Amino acid sequence: MPFGYHGAFLRIDVTRPRVERVPLAETTLRQFLGGSGLGVTLLLDAGAAHRDPLTPEAPLVFAFSPLVGSPLTTSAKFAVVSKSPLTHRINDSLASSGFAVAGKRLGCDALMIIGKASELSVLVIESETDEDVRVRLVPAAAYRGATCQATESGLRAELGHEYRIASIGPAGEQLVRYATISHDGRHAGRGGSGAVLGSKNIKAIAVRGVRRVEWAHPQDVTAISRDLSQRSFGPATAKYRELGTATNLLTFNRFNALPTRNFQSGTFDEAANLSPELLSSTRAKTRESCVTCTIGCEHIYSIAPAGADLQPGPDGKRSVRLQADQSQGVRVEYESLFALGSLCGIGDADVVLRASRRCDELGLDTISTGGTIAFAMECVERGWLNEPWLRFGDGDALLRAIELIGAREGLGNLLAEGSRRAAHAIGHDSIAIAPQVKGLEIPGYEPRALQTMALGFAVGPRGADHNRSGAYEVDFSDKVDRRNVTLDAVGFAIETEDKAALMDSLIVCKFLRGIFEDFYAEAAGMLRAVTGWDATADELRETARRIVSAKRQFNLLAGWTPAEDTLPERFLNTPLPDDPAATLSRTTLNELVAEYHRQRDA
Amino acid sequence: MYVEFLGVPRQRAGVTEMVVEARTLGQLLETLAHRVPSLAAVIVGDRLHPSFAANLNGDEFINDPGTPLREDDCVLILSADAGG
Repeated sequence: MPFGYHGAFLRIDVTRPRVERVPLAETTLRQFLGGSGLGVTLLLDAGAAHRDPLTPEAPLVFAFSPLVGSPLTTSAKFAVVSKSPLTHRINDSLASSGFAVAGKRLGCDALMIIGKASELSVLVIESETDEDVRVRLVPAAAYRGATCQATESGLRAELGHEYRIASIGPAGEQLVRYATISHDGRHAGRGGSGAVLGSKNIKAIAVRGVRRVEWAHPQDVTAISRDLSQRSFGPATAKYRELGTATNLLTFNRFNALPTRNFQSGTFDEAANLSPELLSSTRAKTRESCVTCTIGCEHIYSIAPAGADLQPGPDGKRSVRLQADQSQGVRVEYESLFALGSLCGIGDADVVLRASRRCDELGLDTISTGGTIAFAMECVERGWLNEPWLRFGDGDALLRAIELIGAREGLGNLLAEGSRRAAHAIGHDSIAIAPQVKGLEIPGYEPRALQTMALGFAVGPRGADHNRSGAYEVDFSDKVDRRNVTLDAVGFAIETEDKAALMDSLIVCKFLRGIFEDFYAEAAGMLRAVTGWDATADELRETARRIVSAKRQFNLLAGWTPAEDTLPERFLNTPLPDDPAATLSRTTLNELVAEYHRQRDA
Repeated sequence: MYVEFLGVPRQRAGVTEMVVEARTLGQLLETLAHRVPSLAAVIVGDRLHPSFAANLNGDEFINDPGTPLREDDCVLILSADAGG
């Protein structure tokens, strides 16, 4: 077995419960590495593509990676991989921190959860020695309806602080199709993995392990870690460190690329209200990092505007640290600000931050939540949905809709299905304005203004997605004309998709990508140091393509057809109202997609 | 011409926009580096650091220091990484 791995995954049937240690061949590990890649191949082997993801037989995989447990910056990450209950296609969501390290210390490279507990339970997985792993179910009736945060803090107090816990909120219990799995305030957010865990009657997974892996060349691991950490303090990560992803808001607004009122516009008059530049000057704020991360991209703002307690700090900026437990704070990300802000026409920062925090508590993907609510708001505006209270710009309506979705009550029961299923129920050809691809709601990148990204959205194996395709990078460069892309853009889009697949399998955080001069060569260096393999950049390019192919293979088995690789009618042949130059014709998109498949299949 | 700062460059510059006289992108960046020393990490010689980008009038991203500029142009300086 290579260094860096345990050479096995744990198949855990929560029906009984019981655990089986299943060996993993070195060839499999070398071909798929870990994280998303390993998760996808395990699902393919398990026949998951053919199963309804909310049935007991459907597997849910937590995949670690060879770098987990090393000091390499940002490497403490895990992938949650399953068939999505939202899209019925492949879904791989990543989250960070101690759960990855503790999970791998169980002596495995992945956990595969199958079955269904007889009652709502906590799955406890622990190893006391290097020899055995035990699983048990703890009744979780006391946590029914509890928020993710309350569940995790309660279980840490109950089980012991050495356990690392991933949980679902009320939305996961209610099988909301875009429910998340939370760990330590971070979420495996997209595609509904929380509903898959909820369908198994598992409220939380608590892990505690003792087994460590050895590295092939420890001195090299240390040297690479120091070098990466040093570089991670530089200009390439300044955006994440200084303002966080939320800084996209004003930039995208300037480029008419900020989705507004369910993609009816690319600019939002009240964008400045939600910007981190303003939030930083009016609210208490602190910054956090995942385990092993040296970037620290998490900007946590107080929910309520600061009053007299907001004092100038040593640097003259008016900000104060939040209390250590951040009980009044919320992590602010661009995607949450856009989805719950401009997309719903909400410019009141208090409302948007409360909505974001409530999604975190309920265990809801903020992008799909905002996208589905914004879609419903437009349906109301057009007279297709008789819910007159649900209006663009109405903060109370947004907060009410989130509560209804989390509880699957009233209109919330429909919206909990996501915008595509809701459109089919509403009719009136509302599918044309449902902001989704393959059922996954579109992130905060207006496709007409960023047309390489439009291609990335259309062909994405898990649907419209900004984490599996970084094609927006191409649009924000001199490589293409972002509002009039040609077939030259296709190769660039494929490059970003391949790179993302490798980063999600190795695993390192994408926020590091700017520090690499030759990512594949440096990734090969990391892999050589940890595993002892004679990995090369060319091998890893091939690995990346193999992982993308495996995702497409999963989708093919799950029923994918070429007709899915497109965008909603709204985006085709209709100019962006505030930027007529931003027009994407159906013909152009079809040609881009066809060229994508030609190059992928070559 | 106008120079408009977004994101980290705006934080570093301490202003949202500025009027600068320059005939090329390279001249513009050298002038900015001289007038706003806090942009030192953003501008390297007559070019932007690879982590930052310049855009002409909201339309075209420009990189070549020799790119000619007109008096009525607006040059946007922003982080190159648009990821969220």
